[in-house]
Amino acid sequence: MSNKKKLWQIFGPVLVAFALLALIFLLPFSLTHYSQKSLQESSVSFSTQLVKGEAVKNAAFADKKVNYVPFFGSSELSRIDSLHPSVLAEKYHRNYQPFMLGKAGSDSLVHFLNMQEMQGTLKTKKAVYVVSPQWFTKTGSDAGFDLFYSPLQLVDWLLNIGTNKPTTTDQFVASQVLERSVVKNNAYYNRLLKQIENGDSLSEASLSTLRFKHRILSRQDALFSRLEKSSNYKNRVLPAAKSLPQIYSKNALDRLGYEEGKKGTSNNAFHIKNSFYTTRVMPEKNSLKNSQKNYNYEQSVEYAYFQSVLDNFAKNHTDVMFVITPVNQRWAKYTGLNNEMYQASVAKIKYQLQSQGFNNIADLSQDGGEDYFMQDTIHVGWRGWLALDQYLNPFLSSGTTKTDYTINNRFLSKEWQNLKPSAQNLSDFK
Amino acid sequence: MPNLQPYADPNYFVYLLLALVPLAVGLYFGKRFVTYEVLVSLAFIFLIFDDKSHSGQGLALIIYSIWQFLLVWGYITYRKKQNTGMVFYATAALSILPIFLVRLSGAGIFHAQLSLLGFLGISYLTFRSIGMIIEARDGAVKDFHPVMFLRFMLFMPTLSSGPIDRYSRFAKDAAVAPEREHYIDLLGKAVKNLFLGFAYKFIIAHYAEMTYHYFQGMAMSDAHHGMLLSWWLIPVAYSYGMYLFFDFAGYSLFALAISYVMGIESPINFNKPYGAKNIKEFWNRWHMSLSFWFRDFVFMRFVFLFLKHKWIKNRNTVSTLAYFVNMLVMGFWHGLTWYYILYGFMHGAALAGNDVWIRFKRKHKDKIPHNKFTEGFAVVLTFHFVMLTFLVFCGFLDTFWFHR
Repeated sequence: MSNKKKLWQIFGPVLVAFALLALIFLLPFSLTHYSQKSLQESSVSFSTQLVKGEAVKNAAFADKKVNYVPFFGSSELSRIDSLHPSVLAEKYHRNYQPFMLGKAGSDSLVHFLNMQEMQGTLKTKKAVYVVSPQWFTKTGSDAGFDLFYSPLQLVDWLLNIGTNKPTTTDQFVASQVLERSVVKNNAYYNRLLKQIENGDSLSEASLSTLRFKHRILSRQDALFSRLEKSSNYKNRVLPAAKSLPQIYSKNALDRLGYEEGKKGTSNNAFHIKNSFYTTRVMPEKNSLKNSQKNYNYEQSVEYAYFQSVLDNFAKNHTDVMFVITPVNQRWAKYTGLNNEMYQASVAKIKYQLQSQGFNNIADLSQDGGEDYFMQDTIHVGWRGWLALDQYLNPFLSSGTTKTDYTINNRFLSKEWQNLKPSAQNLSDFK
Repeated sequence: MPNLQPYADPNYFVYLLLALVPLAVGLYFGKRFVTYEVLVSLAFIFLIFDDKSHSGQGLALIIYSIWQFLLVWGYITYRKKQNTGMVFYATAALSILPIFLVRLSGAGIFHAQLSLLGFLGISYLTFRSIGMIIEARDGAVKDFHPVMFLRFMLFMPTLSSGPIDRYSRFAKDAAVAPEREHYIDLLGKAVKNLFLGFAYKFIIAHYAEMTYHYFQGMAMSDAHHGMLLSWWLIPVAYSYGMYLFFDFAGYSLFALAISYVMGIESPINFNKPYGAKNIKEFWNRWHMSLSFWFRDFVFMRFVFLFLKHKWIKNRNTVSTLAYFVNMLVMGFWHGLTWYYILYGFMHGAALAGNDVWIRFKRKHKDKIPHNKFTEGFAVVLTFHFVMLTFLVFCGFLDTFWFHR
């Protein structure tokens, strides 16, 4: 056999493989059809793939039968019990159905990137944004970043910026994202984000490679987002909905939440759900005593991440409700978490919201001491979900109102991140 | 500058293979561009260490290389004139010193700062240089060529985790360009290895690791309930065994593929290890470049030393002892923790036990059946034993029992 022929035998199959791959990725047939059932399951799958990708999000929010509303949040979203928002919406045939985006670790920086893949949705739909003060630690809760990050988010974001001059928020987010090794070590994104960070517009040439990348990555997303299967809707939401009374009555449901909470938290004095208590608390109970004495949420880079999300909502005129979560007061007493500090950080979050015109706020932060309001240490459950429903239902069931937000970029600054909140210096911050 | 960890993601292969194209074209036409090869090697080593979290390691690598350079140079120069055991042992000890200190500090026994001496690949570089000192002692390496030494020590494809090559073998390949026919065969093997490696490391090992983590979580919830043992430890062992093989074998395939493209036939590392009929055969198929290194430079040396000095007369006793020494040294090399050492001990015991069994079998040939079924049984038994030792090796038991 001649050498030339041998070389063909070696590299020919490689070329064919790449050609086949190119066919799958570049031919214009759609892979993004999702059944009603699979969208329903996705709405409570809490999968990282939903945050990373755009295929399922696009399909759900464009769905004509069900009005899926994005719920941005983190670990609290997955506390499904009989009064969870998804269960109430299912049972009482609300004209909306929550679509949960996020799980433990998804903070505002994650959601800023997540939202880049669904800007169209944010222009037309209402949204719910659940803020956990626990995100607001000194250096931010960036442990989750790698888990939720995907290059597709970056590409979408850069395409959204287009040839426009990057805004202050874009510059800020670019500088933060560039510190994460998953992004920094990619020479291509590194270069483009440096440009954004410096406030330089992207060239038309960069945008056409980005459009090509988008094609490949979104195809990859459509192919692989199907691999994850979840059955929370069938196994948890539907059975829970079945057990609820036919007619919605706040008092009856509140009693039911009280009973279920009482039954579900019987093995400890903290009103923590039994299974959570035995697996997560009991083994380390002693070491947890006073362990949160020095926790502080008042000064954090997270305030600036939060601001980037607000900026994005304002840009799209999204009619959005913010939920501020409480902590379990019985538990906080044991761990020594300082309630004054907690309330001060809530006040800082609220000032940031209200001074820029975000006035739809469900502030539950004072209610963590109520019986069976919480499902465990920092996550609402039963009566807490019902209390939240009193805000969510009127908001989501009514028509959109015109928004009037005025963004103040000073909330991105170090001064704001490090401001120790007091009534005086909050109102002085302009 | 981006940071590129070897073979970590698909992009790495694109960059590396593009950089190697001129070298490959040269080799195809019978020319080896040594300067270019060295520059590419150095550039990709630099890219491993070029960020804040790795730069200390890069410095450690430079200092380490100078240290080994001086030792090997000094020893070969000395060996030309004289050959005493003392000097050989002293040089070998100095060559091992850095990794010894790193292991001590890793176990918290010594100054923790000494872990600063460590870097990705230190244990594999130690094999290269100490192997070279031993080859010099034996007269297999006669002259010191500074450039060839550095090409050998800092051979990029196998820098981080082997396979472990021998200087005399490497130098033969690296001095010339391979015959064209032969080089084409190497390219064929390289392509096959790369794609098999992708399947191993990026697909199978990826899922095996996910199941491994899942079973760890299940076992830990039993640990939190205060249980001393858990049924979940069984799938932990097997999923880890699968993960370890496909991850490491996949990595080795990559390292070989890149070596072949560079016209160097580094030795293979895995040959269907889970099909071994006994533990001795397992070590002839598992992490082969390491186990052969240990066989030649620890086991054999130990046996010869004892027989030569007649410290112990019985050959079987000597080899039993040598098995334990060999595997315990390997255990210590992995790190100074109870589970690596126990792992070494288990394999030492198994190798010794296997020898006893084979002698027994030979004596009673007529009574002990040997057929397809017994062979199949032996494969199954060996596999399960290896999985048990991997449960120890993976270190999860340490977490399970002592860090609940």
